[in-house]
Order: sequence, then structure tokens, then C-alpha cells
Amino acid sequence: MPKMALTHFETAILFALFTSVILGITTKKTDKERIRYGAQCFGYFIAALFGIGWLMYFGHG
Amino acid sequence: MTEAQANTPSAASYLPVLAAAWIVPGSGYFLLKRPGRGILTFVSVATMFLIGIMMRGPFFQPQGGDLLTTIIYYGGFLAHIASGAFYFIAVALGYNQPDVAGHVYDYGSKFLVGSGLLNILALVDVHEIATGKKS
Repeated sequence: MPKMALTHFETAILFALFTSVILGITTKKTDKERIRYGAQCFGYFIAALFGIGWLMYFGHG
Repeated sequence: MTEAQANTPSAASYLPVLAAAWIVPGSGYFLLKRPGRGILTFVSVATMFLIGIMMRGPFFQPQGGDLLTTIIYYGGFLAHIASGAFYFIAVALGYNQPDVAGHVYDYGSKFLVGSGLLNILALVDVHEIATGKKS
């Protein structure tokens, strides 16, 4: 099995993607709502990734 | 028997679907004639598990101690079990990564746990569909 070394950013993007897909599938009733909610979750993940990233950057001084 | 009890499907009707959905993530949706959701679930859970293995994430083993240690190790182990066949195949093939320091190993571990947790979400959804609470 090949070894994979991803950065924190790449890892977080992949985690957000797959988690958003499952959250979209499992929580809503129509396909349109599922796609919308999945995209919304992915957007929140990315916003949190950048937001908390900058917060830590400035927190370190 | 009340009307609500009469409308509740028997465990024998949905347990095989749940068992299939646990062993092969996404298969429960196929059995319930929802192949699109089945494919997406399988691909998501399988890819996360594979990335976790390729990042050499260690598996959690049940371990006691203080409360936090117990929750983390037992919880992690249960999440691995929830991955179904992926976990059992990896163990059967001899995957036994020791818990070493390093961010890549740590991310891998989270992916392995995450794939099991996503399959638990899918299992709950399959149960709701099989029992008629959701379409």
C-alpha cells in the first residue's frame, strides 16, 4: 500500500468534502435539499478552516 | 395491539438491511432501491478509510484508564468496528500501524475514525428509510 502524506489543508478539504456528502445524504428529504445542504456544510467547513486558521495565526502573535 | 404498533415494521424486516449496510457501507441503500445514495456513501466511507490507511493511521484498541482515555480508545475502537468490512479486512491482512508521533499519522487516525462515524450516520438513515419514517 503506497504511503500518502497530505498537508493539514489538503486533509481538511478532503475530510470536509466526504463529511458534507454524507451529511447531505442523511439529513434532508429531497435531492435538491440534499445537494443544497451538502454544499452548505462544505462551505461552513471551509469558512471554519480559514477562519480558525487566521485566528491561530494572529493568536500566535 | 395499537395502530402504531401494527404499522411498525418487524425487526426481522429491517435487521438484514442494517447488517448489510454495516458490513458494506452503502449497500443498505442499494437494498432499499436508492442506488445513488448507496454509491455516494460507499465512495465516501471507502475513500476516507483508504486515505486513513495510506496515511498510516493507527487503529484504536480498547483501553481503560482515566475517563477521557477510556472514552477516546473505546469510542475510536467502536468507530473502527462501524466501518464494517474495511476494518476487518485491514486487520485480517495484517495492518498494524503502531501509534507513533507525527501529524500525518494523526490525520490518518482521524480519517479511520471518521469513516466509521459517517457509516453510523448512514446506518441511522437506512434504519429510518427501512422503518418508513423517511423516504
